[in-house]
Formats: sequence, structure tokens, C-alpha cells
Amino acid sequence: MVQSKKQRYLFLAFCLVPTFLMFALFTLYPLVNGLYYSFFQWSGSSSVAEFTGFDNYRKLFNDEIIPATIWHDYFLVITKIIGIMILATFFAVALTQMRIKEAPFYRIVFFFPNIMSVVVIGILWMFIYNPSLGLVNSGLEFLGLGEWTKAWLGNEKWALPSLVLPSVWAGIGLFMLMLMGGISNISKSYYEAAEIDGANGWQQFWKITLPLVWPQIKISILYIIITTLNGSFIIVQVMTKGGPNNATHVMGSYLYEEAFVKYNFGYGATIGVMILVLSLITVLIMQYFMRREKVEY
Amino acid sequence: MKRKQGFWTKIGVRIPLVLWSLAVLYPILWMILGAFKSNAEIYANPWGLPDSFSFGNFIDAWSNYNIDISVFNSLIVTGLGALLTLVMAIPTAYALERLRFRGNRLLFTLYISAMMIPMVLGWIPLFFLLMQLNLLDNIFGLAIVYAVSQLPFSIFVLTSFMATIPKSLEEAAAIDGMSPYKILWKIITPLSMTGIITVTIMNMIQFWNEYFMALIFLQSENNYTLALAIDYISNETQYTNSWGTLFASLVIAIVPVIILYAIFQRRIVKGMTEGAIKG
Repeated sequence: MVQSKKQRYLFLAFCLVPTFLMFALFTLYPLVNGLYYSFFQWSGSSSVAEFTGFDNYRKLFNDEIIPATIWHDYFLVITKIIGIMILATFFAVALTQMRIKEAPFYRIVFFFPNIMSVVVIGILWMFIYNPSLGLVNSGLEFLGLGEWTKAWLGNEKWALPSLVLPSVWAGIGLFMLMLMGGISNISKSYYEAAEIDGANGWQQFWKITLPLVWPQIKISILYIIITTLNGSFIIVQVMTKGGPNNATHVMGSYLYEEAFVKYNFGYGATIGVMILVLSLITVLIMQYFMRREKVEY
Repeated sequence: MKRKQGFWTKIGVRIPLVLWSLAVLYPILWMILGAFKSNAEIYANPWGLPDSFSFGNFIDAWSNYNIDISVFNSLIVTGLGALLTLVMAIPTAYALERLRFRGNRLLFTLYISAMMIPMVLGWIPLFFLLMQLNLLDNIFGLAIVYAVSQLPFSIFVLTSFMATIPKSLEEAAAIDGMSPYKILWKIITPLSMTGIITVTIMNMIQFWNEYFMALIFLQSENNYTLALAIDYISNETQYTNSWGTLFASLVIAIVPVIILYAIFQRRIVKGMTEGAIKG
């Protein structure tokens, strides 16, 4: 049976058009419109949106909290990359190359936090950091380091670093598995050749494993950057709401506060544009720096 | 010459592995145990075993903190959202994978690049759009927003699954006079079932866990999803210190995820690592 041209187009439209309309309405239109909103002063009641040109952007550059939120975001990006990549690489190598019998157990356990809700993770860790009941302070007292105990999340200096641990805790499994996928694709013969040449475990790791899993490492780092810049505000909102005294505000949580708590929707959209621009620039820069000739032996 | 890994090396490697397992499991187990403890016990002995198991906290959370309503809301949002995602994603994935038309690559790239764009910016206009459509503070509105938000990921995974179905089946069916609609429904959909199940589990976990869009787009307590209800109880706990109730609600939230993980562990892991590798 040969379909007529009209029938063919009808089927194509049936497949593509309804979905694309929904996508355009609920994803593309809001993104473009967000850009448009950033040029308005608007408190939400629809009649009084006032066009103010670049005023919101001027405000953005003079807002003292903005540089702090950017720094907090990048602090989380950097510490998460270091923490997750070191641990995930170590675990991935250990589980693929050390012939550990119970490896599947570790794989299953380490991955589980990746599918837990950020709300559950956040609340769990709020209790772990709880000044009087929490595991961290009781652990420190048990070790005789009682003077180190503090109200972790209520302390301006320590609140932000305290958010790193839950993020690493929750993220490691996924990246470990991505790296394990890369390592198990490396041919055994490279290691055998290296053995014969007398290379020790460290040399094998630096000269064989690391260069050959570089694509996976690169993807992991980019993925951490994207998910942190686009999502760090969720754990901030659950655990500290940006406090104490703005010490943990990241760009996204500040946007939420400006737009949905203080009803400065125009200014909120301006912060959103900043988030978009910064994360695109960061990803492009990182892609440039991490480009590396494909290694082949 | 084959070097044997020394006994001590293996022990040395196991120490961090065991420690990290404890770091993951202990807080979760302890949260579950805490849900069965009385408040007095949590204060006296926060990190140990309960003296006796009581379901008081669950009853309190269920009846005094409206967890029953929010579980119901979360179930609706999760189920409806996952269904809607499939209805939208399957035909589009099929067309993008199998049908030739101008702009195919472009459309695919558009969907995929939406996975990397921070959606925060879009949430402000989305808020007003939902208001105009009378879908603000409405769990059905939230289900639609969720479904569209998972569309790029779902299309991405489904196209790669459909690419593995041999073309000859469709060709044979077309020669037998089957309409393209029927081919999609009777041949492609059943054959991509593995992919459909993977995508659906991933989406359901995502929707069940989601917090921030619910925070923005839902307002009245009767519409709260589980994540919002727990956050609400957590904020109350700052003053009431009823930790037991909070833990019970956390357990209610996490048990379905644990069950899904126990059954579909491999699929979930595969779905997530593939979703991330799209880079």
C-alpha cells in the first residue's frame, strides 16, 4: 500500500504537532518570556507591569548580594567536583579492578541516595547537623573534640561548607557508575602489557585508566556543573532557605526569594537571565579547557 | 609475570568502601528507626535502637498533618504526569527516529538541548501562564508541567530504544495494509516496552520526589504533594520538636522509592547513567 502524500503529512502532524505545542507553550514560551520580563518592573498584578529598560540589570550589578550568590554557587560547583570526582574515581577503580567479591553490594548502596528526594536528603542532613541531637556533634564529642561542635547550619562561616557533604553524599553513586562503565571498556591487554613493563598500580592508573576514561570524567564534570548551577537552590531552600544572613544564598534561591516571596517578578527574571548566561558560559569554557585529543594506544 | 594483589591492599581498599557504605546506610536506617521511637526516646537516645516499635508517629503524621491528602495528591501527580509524558513522547520519538522530514535533526536537537537549559528562568512566566489557564494551585496543572519538563529526557531515551527495532517489521506490516497509526500502536509501542518502562520508572521517581516546582505552583495545603507536606512538617518541627512525626513522614515518602529500586535497580541505574551521558 502506498500512502498518499496527504496521509503521510497527516500522520507526521499527528506525531509531532500536539507534543510540540505543549513543549512550546510550557518550555519555550516561558524561557523567552522570562527574558522579556527582565526589562519590566512588575509586582505580579497584571495591569501595572512597567517597562524600565535595563534598570533591573543596573540593579543586578549594584546588588551586594548578587556577587555573594554567584560565589556560593561556584563554591558548591568546585567543592562538589573535587569531592565527587576523587571519591567516585577511587570507588570505581576499586570496584572494577580489585576483584572484590561484594562489589555489587557497594554499587547498589552507593547509588541509592541518587534517587532520594532532595527534601528527604535535606531534612535528614539537617538532623545530622542538629546542634544538640545530631550525629556530627555527638561524633565530635565522642572523639573528645567537644570544642569543635557548633550549630553548623546556623553559623555564617560553616553553613555553606556544610551543604557540600549532603551533595557529595547524594551524588557519588551516579558518577561512580559512569566511570565504572568507562573502565570496564578498557581492554585488559593494556594492563597486561604494563605489568610486563613493570608499571606499578599507580603508574597504571595515571597512564592507562585516567587517559582512557577521560571522556567519562569530562561528561561527569560537565554534568556536575550543569546540575549544580541549575539545581543547587533546591537543597539550599530545604536546609537553610539562604540563611543565616544570606550566607548560603545561591543564585536560584535568591531568584525564588525575590520573585515568589517579595514579588519582584521583573528582578527575579533578571536573575534568571544571569543564571542562564553564566551556566552557558561556564559549560562552554569548561568544554574548551577539557578538550583533549582522544587517546589511543 | 602476574603480580598478585596483596592481602593488605585488599583490606586497605575495603576500609573506605565499608566506611562509605556506613555513611550511606546508617542515616537512612536510623531515620527509619526514628520513625518508630517516641519523642522522649529520640532525645534520650537519638542514634540507637528503639525500645519498642510503635506506630504512633505514623498515625500522627497521617491524620494530624494531612499526609493522607498529600500522598493522594502525589500519587495523582506521579501517575498522571508519567502517563502524559508517554502520550506526548512516544509518537514524537517515533517520528524523530523513523520518519524522514525536513527539520528532523533540528527538532531533535531542540528537544535535547532543553535538558541542559536552566528552567528557573522559565518558572516565573510559567507561574503567570498557569494562573491565566486556571491551573495554578492545581495538581493537574502541576502534572502537565511535570510531564513537559521530562519530555526531552523521555524522547531521548525512547528514540535510542526505537532505533534498535528492525525496520523490516514495519515494512512488512505496511505492505499488509496496516495504517501508520496502527503500526505505531500495535508494533512499535509493544516492541519498545523495555524503553517505555525504563522511562516511566525514571519519570515516576522524579515526579514523586520533585519539590521546587510544587513549591512555586501549589499554594493551598489541600493541594500539597508529599514533598511539600514534609517540608511543612520540617518547618513546624523547629518549634514543636516532634521529630518522630517528621521521620514517619520521611519514611512514607521514601518507601515507594525503595520498593521501585529493589525491583528495577538495573533499569534505574541504566536510565540515569544514559540520561547523564547525553552531555
